[in-house]
Amino acid sequence: MSATTTAAGVPARAPRGGALRAALLRPAGVVGLLLGLVVLVLAVMGTFGLTPYDPAKQDVTQSLVGPSGQHWFGTDQFGRDVFSRVCSGLANSLRIAVVSVGISGVLGILIGVLAGYYGGWVDRVVGVLTNVLFAFPSLLLALALAATLDRSWVTVSIAIATVYLPIFARVARAPVLRLRHVDYVTASTAIGRPRLSTLFAHVVPNMWGILLVQVTLSLSWSILTEAALSFLGFGTPPPAASLGGMVYDAQTISAVAPWMLAFPGLAIVVFVVGLNLLGDALRSTLDPRSGGRR
Amino acid sequence: MTALLSLWRNSFVRRVLEAVLTLVGVSVLTFAVLRVLPGDQITASYGIEAGALSPDQLASLRAYYGIDKPLVAQYFSWLGGVLTGNLGVATQSQQDVLDMTLRALPITLQLAVLSILVALALGVPGGLLAASRAGALRDNGSQLVSLLALSVPTFLVATALSSWLANRFGYNPNGEEFATLLRDPALNLQQMALPALTLGVSIAAPVFQTTRASVLAIRDEDYIRTARAKGVPPRRLQGRHVLRNALIPVVTISGLQFGFLLGGAVVIEQIFSIPGIGRQVLLGMTQKEYAVVQSTVLVIAVLFVLVNLLTDVVYRLVDPQARAQ
Amino acid sequence: MVRRMPAGPARAVVSTAVVGALALAGCSGGSGSGGSGSGGGEGNDRLVFGITADPTQTIPWLSTSTQSIQVLSQVYSTLLNSGDDLETVAGLSDLPEVSEDGKTYTFTLKDGVKFANGSALDSTDVKYTFDTIMNPETKATSASYFASVASVEAPDPKTVVVKLKSPDASFTTALANVNTSIVPSDVPVESLTTTPVGSGPYVWDTRTPNQSITLKVNPDYYQGRPGYQSLQFRILGDEKAMVSALQSGAVDMAVFDNPVTAKTATSGKVKVTPVDQLSYHVLQLRADAPALKDVNVRLAIQCAIDRKQVLDTAALGAGEVTGPITSPAYRSNPDARPCPTRDVAKAKDYLAKAGKSGGVSINLITSQGLYSTAVNEAQNIQAQLKEAGIDVKLETLDSDGYVQRWLKGDFDSAIALNGGSTDPNTMYARYFTSKGSFNKVAGYRSAELDKLFADGIATRDENARKGIYTQVSKELEDNAVWVWTYTGKLFVATSTGTSGFKARTGADLGTLWKAAPAK
Repeated sequence: MSATTTAAGVPARAPRGGALRAALLRPAGVVGLLLGLVVLVLAVMGTFGLTPYDPAKQDVTQSLVGPSGQHWFGTDQFGRDVFSRVCSGLANSLRIAVVSVGISGVLGILIGVLAGYYGGWVDRVVGVLTNVLFAFPSLLLALALAATLDRSWVTVSIAIATVYLPIFARVARAPVLRLRHVDYVTASTAIGRPRLSTLFAHVVPNMWGILLVQVTLSLSWSILTEAALSFLGFGTPPPAASLGGMVYDAQTISAVAPWMLAFPGLAIVVFVVGLNLLGDALRSTLDPRSGGRR
Repeated sequence: MTALLSLWRNSFVRRVLEAVLTLVGVSVLTFAVLRVLPGDQITASYGIEAGALSPDQLASLRAYYGIDKPLVAQYFSWLGGVLTGNLGVATQSQQDVLDMTLRALPITLQLAVLSILVALALGVPGGLLAASRAGALRDNGSQLVSLLALSVPTFLVATALSSWLANRFGYNPNGEEFATLLRDPALNLQQMALPALTLGVSIAAPVFQTTRASVLAIRDEDYIRTARAKGVPPRRLQGRHVLRNALIPVVTISGLQFGFLLGGAVVIEQIFSIPGIGRQVLLGMTQKEYAVVQSTVLVIAVLFVLVNLLTDVVYRLVDPQARAQ
Repeated sequence: MVRRMPAGPARAVVSTAVVGALALAGCSGGSGSGGSGSGGGEGNDRLVFGITADPTQTIPWLSTSTQSIQVLSQVYSTLLNSGDDLETVAGLSDLPEVSEDGKTYTFTLKDGVKFANGSALDSTDVKYTFDTIMNPETKATSASYFASVASVEAPDPKTVVVKLKSPDASFTTALANVNTSIVPSDVPVESLTTTPVGSGPYVWDTRTPNQSITLKVNPDYYQGRPGYQSLQFRILGDEKAMVSALQSGAVDMAVFDNPVTAKTATSGKVKVTPVDQLSYHVLQLRADAPALKDVNVRLAIQCAIDRKQVLDTAALGAGEVTGPITSPAYRSNPDARPCPTRDVAKAKDYLAKAGKSGGVSINLITSQGLYSTAVNEAQNIQAQLKEAGIDVKLETLDSDGYVQRWLKGDFDSAIALNGGSTDPNTMYARYFTSKGSFNKVAGYRSAELDKLFADGIATRDENARKGIYTQVSKELEDNAVWVWTYTGKLFVATSTGTSGFKARTGADLGTLWKAAPAK
């Protein structure tokens, strides 16, 4: 996984709402949006308990039943309804994704922007700190954090956030370095506006397109990282359902109950594909030279 | 004084200093993380039997493992050892950490290189294909494939594939003892095949995207149009001008992936029993072998920083525009 | 306007070149020996045994993990052995002569037994081993087995005399445990850590950390010549990888604890034999905890749990419901308890008696790293208790975190899989006697139990002991000290290319030396 940035520089004045709207009108954007909506609906159902069954309710008389009219996605060995658990798992994964990207995004962008804008020793210190985080094997960092703190979705989010923070910092810093010298920015400071104010009034709004792309990418990575963490046994602890956790639990038993692995796995794929399509569409819109129709 | 100042202004020196600071930061972070993890070497080796130990026995064990000293003392004693070439010892097996690392590191490096090759082999032709006719079916089709490669948790597919091959055909090279490249190339490559394929596929998407994007971008460049106007045959245009320049960012992306591969290979190494660096650190963490984890992570960081530093230096030497900065 | 390339070519080239160079340079670093030969069972005369973790201890008296015990059982020998029904039989020594007062045990060692370094195994080695175990400086985990030993003497090379402080009928059982194996007295312990020297069927050859341990045959093994020229323990971290290795013939034998894995491993080339276990799955309650002080609350918990359901959901029914004592000769009647089957109404009654009709809240610690069904058992128990008005706060900890809290007794209840033994005293004395080393963890003690345990080892009369331990079991269940759920099964997978190994309860490797390539 890389810190992919757009291939081109930052346009002088990026269209605001125009970019989003344009992105959503592309076919990729539409599909992405549709998938995203499906996921969102299921996740909302999961969050507010609108699922057909209680995800934690065990009913051993219905243990290991395959997909049927009563249980769309079948049941697990405790007789819990897999469809309800997938909804709950989506809610959990979405929550982790949003919180982890939120934390790393806000902090990372802040740090990156400040570093790029002020330069000098601020930039150097931030550079060293982000390099430290980069040089440390990412998954192990997440593992260590997840193992240390009381296991819950919050700590898993924090663990994932720590891994992606330097990426946001780096992505946010680059365009700031260029924007510093653009006319309207230098003009703004020339007329006496405090630098910080210029920063947030002029510089940041022109970057949000790139940042948005990075956000969608990170959201999808965070789901996969959570799955990987669960795979190693460090994800959200039971009985809460998480997609990665369900996949981890289902590994051996999938030999007799393949639906326990297939549906959570599919949910992960759909979620990530939807997010990536959205991100791709955004990227194509913001920077026509990076691809798309000619 | 002025000598020191001019030394400071020398960007190379500054870079080296930053590299050293980064390494110090990594070592402190590793040390802190390990100490914060619940349990220690005593619980790791005794398990619940540690409960049968008397306070005196526990105290003597702590002294033996060196965990009775204050944290700062422990840190500096380990760091001092590292700087003199002593990376420490795995307390249970009495293995020298330097030996273990020298054995495991090339294996992970080999895995990383093979994965990048797979990613290039998949991503570059795919990107070229997509860019050859942007917007057409081949473009959208290959973009979809790339998207799936990015979205599917590849380690799951790999495990399933490996199990199926073993079940159906009795083929399972990873079940045999691990063979290094020089000892038994045939077996080694078979053992690396599925892991490298898995990792390669997961990083092929950015390679694909970058190839596609940069080919499309280059095609529009002035110098390409000039060449076309001058009558350069299309094939030569494609090969010499477009391709060569388009591949530059691709190679860069591959270089960036390397750092992530070192850490991300942990899951793959664990699943396929590849005795690489990632697995060494993971097992060190579960066994609470502090020296193993601290020293190994430091080695990885040194590698990472060194590669960055070297490429920075060469880049500045070679690229006149960068030198002007 | 000239658009700058995202990055210079040199940067990327150097980057990859450096990496490539390092990789190639390092590839010459060989791994440990062991060769790249094909797996055993192909007429290769090598047996490959798959394990899921690297043995962490190589000294018998420190070994606690299953893998350490498996490996060391092939390198070392014990004074006594276990027979096919787990009865204690002769080992390095014949069964001891016990004095009338039960305080003196005289062992006669077999002739001609040698260590791998050529030195003869005699009584000096036995005395040395036992003295080392009993020495507090050693911090041996098997020290508790020798708690009643006053002295060990070696009057002549073939005789060992152990004098006890007071009679202890459970004493000899421990002598068949791998962690009381006899080590040579002329080899320093530090050296034994890296190169074990024993008198077992195989001799330590090489070790590649986290990959494999290779042993070669000891042709003079005192029980007979082992069937293979070499034995390799191969570490495959993942159970699925182990199954694949069995199916491809890379690995000849492995032990699983998961019935579904066992099922997937079964094929034309792999045979799977289920065996019972002496280890028991239990919901440990800590009676010292405020929430569980009242016996009625504990009885409510006992009555609210259907043990069969826990077995079915967590272990897919592979095993059987159990009472406290799993030792075959003293096995508890699983139904001898206030609630032999689930009775939610009765549970609620008990709660009412305790004045807690409104419900009770307790925490339950478990860990994914403990053993494969730990978390599933906890989930099922949580769901079952909920229906009786008992709210369980489930805490899934990292395995070391669990061990720490468990040792401190920092929990109301804990899911555990504790080791069993053929002697009930060895199983429970340390938990349920007031002076026991784990009594704080167990959280319960009583004068009755203290007396019963003392009586239990004072006599060697089997029938008397059976009566005593039935009482112990009754005490434990009537007071719902813990809630014992089930004993599981282990699944021994063997390739059809191997024969001669007899899988028995507990899946120990005592008869592995008899395994040989199938004709």
